[in-house]
Amino acid sequence: MRPQREYHIVVLGAGGVGKSCLTEAYDFTAQFVQNVWIESYDPTIEDSYRKQIEVDGRQCILEILDTAGTEQFTAMRELYMKQGQGFLLVFSITSASSLNELSELREQIIRIKDDEKVPLVIVGNKSDLEDDRAVPRARAFGLSQSWGNAPYYETSARRRANVNEVFVDLCRQIIRKDLEGSGSSSDSNRKREGPGRDRKRDNRTQRRRGPCVIL
Amino acid sequence: MESMKPNIPPLKIAKSNSNLIELNTISDDSKLVPGRFYSTLSQPEMTPPMTPLGTTAHNMEQEQQEQPEPQEAPRAVFHNYLRAFYPFHPAGNVSPSTVTLPLEQGDIILVHSVHTNGWADGTLLDSGNRGWLPTNYCEAYDQLQMRPLLKALTDFWDIIRGGCGSSLKDFGNQDLMRGPIAGVRFLLEKSECLTRESLLVRKYDGLRRIRKALLSDLSSLVKTAKRFQDVANGTPAEDEVEAILDEMLLKAFKIVTRGVRFLDVWNEEVGLTRTIAELEGANDSHSQYDLPPTPASESFNIVDVPDDRNESRLLNRSRMDQSRASIRTEMLDHNPRPISVSTKRISVSHRISYSGPSSAVRSQNLASERLGTSYDAFLGVLGSFIGLHMQSRSSTELVVTTQQAVESCRALLNVVETVCEHDGQRTMLLEEAREAMCEKLSDLVHAARDVFRPASGQEDDLIFMPDEGKRLVDAATDCVRAAGTCLAKARLVLEQIGDIELDPVETGTQELPGIADSQEPADTPSEEKPQEISLRLPPPPLQIPNSTYSPATPALTDATTPSSFQSHLNSSTNHSALSSLPNSAILPTHLENMSFSSYDSGYRESHPKSDVSETFSRGVTSTGSSFTYNSHLRDSEMSGVSRTSTRATSPDISGSFNQPSLKESVSYSTLAEENEETEAHLLEKTYAHELIYKEGQVMGGSLRALIEKLTAHQSTPDALFVSTFYLTFRLFATPLEFAEALTERFEYIGDTPHAAGPVRLRVYNIFKGWLESHWRHDRDNDALDFVVNFANTRLVVELPTAGKRLADLAEKVSAVHGPVVPRLVSSMGKTNTAIAQYIHPDTPLPVPIIGKKESHLLKQWKTGDAAITILDFDPLELARQLTIKESRIFCSILPEELLDTEWMRKSGSLAVNVRAMSTLSTDLAHLVADSILYLEEPKKRAATIKHWVKIANKCLELNNYDSLMAIICSLNLSMISRLKRTWDIVSQKTKTSLEHLRTIVDVSRNYAELRKRLQNHVPPCLPFVGTYLTDLTFVDHGNQSLRTLPTDEGEMAVINFDKHMKTARIISELQRFQIPYRLTEVPELQTWMQNELVRVRSNGETTAQTFYRRSLVLEPREGSRSGTNLQAQAAAQAAAQPQPESNTSTILENAKDKFDFLSWTYPSKPKSVATHG
Repeated sequence: MRPQREYHIVVLGAGGVGKSCLTEAYDFTAQFVQNVWIESYDPTIEDSYRKQIEVDGRQCILEILDTAGTEQFTAMRELYMKQGQGFLLVFSITSASSLNELSELREQIIRIKDDEKVPLVIVGNKSDLEDDRAVPRARAFGLSQSWGNAPYYETSARRRANVNEVFVDLCRQIIRKDLEGSGSSSDSNRKREGPGRDRKRDNRTQRRRGPCVIL
Repeated sequence: MESMKPNIPPLKIAKSNSNLIELNTISDDSKLVPGRFYSTLSQPEMTPPMTPLGTTAHNMEQEQQEQPEPQEAPRAVFHNYLRAFYPFHPAGNVSPSTVTLPLEQGDIILVHSVHTNGWADGTLLDSGNRGWLPTNYCEAYDQLQMRPLLKALTDFWDIIRGGCGSSLKDFGNQDLMRGPIAGVRFLLEKSECLTRESLLVRKYDGLRRIRKALLSDLSSLVKTAKRFQDVANGTPAEDEVEAILDEMLLKAFKIVTRGVRFLDVWNEEVGLTRTIAELEGANDSHSQYDLPPTPASESFNIVDVPDDRNESRLLNRSRMDQSRASIRTEMLDHNPRPISVSTKRISVSHRISYSGPSSAVRSQNLASERLGTSYDAFLGVLGSFIGLHMQSRSSTELVVTTQQAVESCRALLNVVETVCEHDGQRTMLLEEAREAMCEKLSDLVHAARDVFRPASGQEDDLIFMPDEGKRLVDAATDCVRAAGTCLAKARLVLEQIGDIELDPVETGTQELPGIADSQEPADTPSEEKPQEISLRLPPPPLQIPNSTYSPATPALTDATTPSSFQSHLNSSTNHSALSSLPNSAILPTHLENMSFSSYDSGYRESHPKSDVSETFSRGVTSTGSSFTYNSHLRDSEMSGVSRTSTRATSPDISGSFNQPSLKESVSYSTLAEENEETEAHLLEKTYAHELIYKEGQVMGGSLRALIEKLTAHQSTPDALFVSTFYLTFRLFATPLEFAEALTERFEYIGDTPHAAGPVRLRVYNIFKGWLESHWRHDRDNDALDFVVNFANTRLVVELPTAGKRLADLAEKVSAVHGPVVPRLVSSMGKTNTAIAQYIHPDTPLPVPIIGKKESHLLKQWKTGDAAITILDFDPLELARQLTIKESRIFCSILPEELLDTEWMRKSGSLAVNVRAMSTLSTDLAHLVADSILYLEEPKKRAATIKHWVKIANKCLELNNYDSLMAIICSLNLSMISRLKRTWDIVSQKTKTSLEHLRTIVDVSRNYAELRKRLQNHVPPCLPFVGTYLTDLTFVDHGNQSLRTLPTDEGEMAVINFDKHMKTARIISELQRFQIPYRLTEVPELQTWMQNELVRVRSNGETTAQTFYRRSLVLEPREGSRSGTNLQAQAAAQAAAQPQPESNTSTILENAKDKFDFLSWTYPSKPKSVATHG
């Protein structure tokens, strides 16, 4: 058994659209952490942002860092980003500007992480407010494509729709990245991971593992 | 007899839509049952068949029949309280590791958990003993009137047995006492026995006694709680506390037990008759006008149906005989505890009487529904019928209950019949069952007839012959069994043919004669069948419980609570006892309709004596003289009505009617005189039941309940609670609503004289505090007129000085903008700040470290003659000036800025100071970056970094975490941290120091380190505001603003006060640090710093990108045009390609570069190692 891994996930979202979309992001973070609709949520507890999950038979601990409420501390953003190994970039489908702001966030992440393929998921939240949709799905998918097919999910924090999926997807990406880094010598890992799932991703894995093998 | 006990047929077992049966069915799988229960099983003689497993053995047939029952889909609901339906006396040789709980009928059990096998872990309220008990011996106890009291007990248990530390304090505050008090109050209120003067209390002696006992129990609990308060306030020994807690718990149990008993008695005495009266009222139109008077001949036919069946169906008999005997045994067994037996029945049927109308609202017309309801009604009636006949002394009751029993049988048969008609193939099976039931019914009727026959003609009340009684009970029991079979079969059929829609409700009764007609040829009407005859009258359906239960009252009470009033009724051979009046009103109808019953004569003989009742109910009298069915019915209706109305209006009925009882009650009331005050004290009007507690904390409640808590008189209000109110009430009520709720409290406390004074003073104080220090002109001015009005019209009457003062205050508020008295909100944090370092006011402030050189430089800068940098100043002084600057903003943050994520508002945000904090923090971070990035030489950059690290260290010394955070953040920015050449020059010492600071402001684990440091921090201190903002945001969005509170009508949404408490707690935590530093400001330095910060800010949104570009210029990474440095160029090349390929040397370089950079950025991250490898 591999020792339990601990992964840091950072939830980022457009500031400046009031609380709208971020509000939801917080909600669903909170909800994810507790996995139930918490009757009484206490954010001051250390563990309130930690969650043990199993992804593809692998136990890991997620530590979720949410910038909720501190968006105005823009200088702080980098500090958060440095912590993260995976990122949830959240916008609200009811606010076009919230989507626009994601690009800057991603640039910053890539800059800080110095990695074009940093694990991230685009999250269009408030999918329950379809009537107020301001971001066509096509636009979001377009963004996703331009970001190297970053996964795009539409969630409803309020209805708890797709919330878990988002975290699992991100977690899977992180694990894969983790494996291709540290587990490069471990063939068994590669095999276990091997064929049958996401071929495209696998290709990328192969390609990227290259230099390490040479080393 | 005793040996037959194991064969007791479970009356309830056939009631297939009960939760308990579900448990049984589960338990059929014997594998589920822990081994220890087998021992119980192996003792069939000792253990009644109703034990979960035993059921399988003894009631296999019924079980099987019920299994396919389609309605069992919903899962059993967990009930907090059960009431024993049967006595349960486990065998002595049950394994010692298993504690079983012996039960007596009527016992109330607090359930902790229910095992899937049907055994429940419960505490018997009577004794406080805990153990396992079979749930199928019990039924859920959830009487509406008792709910708040039961809930209070559950809370009580949870707190005491939950054993949380805070409970000590809560008991001290007497908060917990409010639950039971409110519960008792609710019970008494709902049963109209709130005051000792209330009619019911005066009229029913039994009620009065139990009420008195209940109140004395309550008072005893309150006393114990007070004693506990005294003990807890001292330094109590643990066992002492435990002992008192135990005592309190037992007392609370006792209250509930007593409450249950009270309700039982009430139900017997008042509830049923009244409910029925109401229902009758509602059905008036139908019964009086819609239903055509049924010709007697038709109804005779019905009765004779069973007679015929009787002859043809002897087969079933032998099987029934056994169970019949055992039921009898059971019934006899119960005699020692008659009250519980009968009350049990009553409570069952009481529920049924409610279920009548409610199910009518639902899809009553579905056959399965109808089947269920009619069967429930049938069981209820038969149950009480059996119970009654064991004790009854009044023929009136017998007549009426028998009549009702038969009627309910018919109602059930009716439904079954309809189902039968709809059934194509399986008719035979169901038909048989139905016929069996008809047969049993006829047995019953015959038995009843025989019982009364010998008594005919006697002037005295009919003497109840034990033998006859037994036969009657046997017949009834058989009837129940047959009905169970019948029901199961009917359901089976229904399942196969699908549910069918029946005609609207009334049809059931109307069909009755029709069906009978079609089935059986008319039999000769017989004079000797008074009951049967009375049966033939088509009563309004809801009359059934009416006449069944009202007669039950005297007999039952008599058996248990002999009183002058009751004994008067019973000893005089007079049927016109108060409580049986409605029956006598109905009964004569039937009797006269047949006009020659032997019983009738007996009754009429006694009738004259009921003259007294004339004053009470004319209906009865007119009944006596009237001879047509219709008028009788109407009259009886009238009597019901008049009875109710007299009760409501003239309080002296019982007095004029019943001298002896009046006397006695008078004497009682003098006795009780001394208790009056206690009583009023205990029964103060309260909304405490609208509060939600958890672990002793108020979690939620309605506005009025929260206001009540806010102005409670028994205890000093919790500071945080009050602060929370002032701070957050605008989130859940408008200021006007708040004011109105306060005045409402002011008014209704008037009902409780002893508390009115202190509470009203509290109300005044709340108003005062609001106006003085918490008035928000932007929000609250709407309520000002209301407050003034209250002060001038109401408050001034009760508390003249206070009224005047409040009016004055209101005037000031309207004149002044801003708080009348400087805001002390932060006192809620600051009161806890007694721990703050005490510094004598005369202690000199630290002297600024500004030498001549620095002063000179600043002057030169001012005139534009010199450029200065941070390097020109002492790190400590810079840290101090930063701290002063930040502290000034921090201390002016108002609590309302932190509510409802106000600071996030895009426009028009009131949170100016919070915004200023984040701006300053961001500016400072940018200033750090700026001061480093605009230096061309790496050496100078390194020196600046070093200086900032020193400043950061000084900030830490000053407990200025906010500035510390900003500086570290900035040094961490990628544009700074990527400056490899610069960092190479930075000394290891500085790096180590920086690393240490970094761990302090580490954001991971939810700022665990920072939080730990701030937890018991002594001010002055400047915490990082961001954590508070995050917490507040999460509390705001992670907690709903309403909670649901289960009530009698379902549930009500109440304010989630816990959310607001949490918010207030976070704000108070922040406010704790709102204490200015004792530092000397250096205005020139402040000016320079301000100037620098503004300069940086002017770069606007693009600052970060500008910095990054600048960083790249300084130490390029990309295929550089300025590439003079080979190494840098190589690194840049490598970095330019996200997926490095075969250029090994470059990769090596790159990896190394990355490693160097990352090794101290992420010293502990596996990732950096991975990159290296």
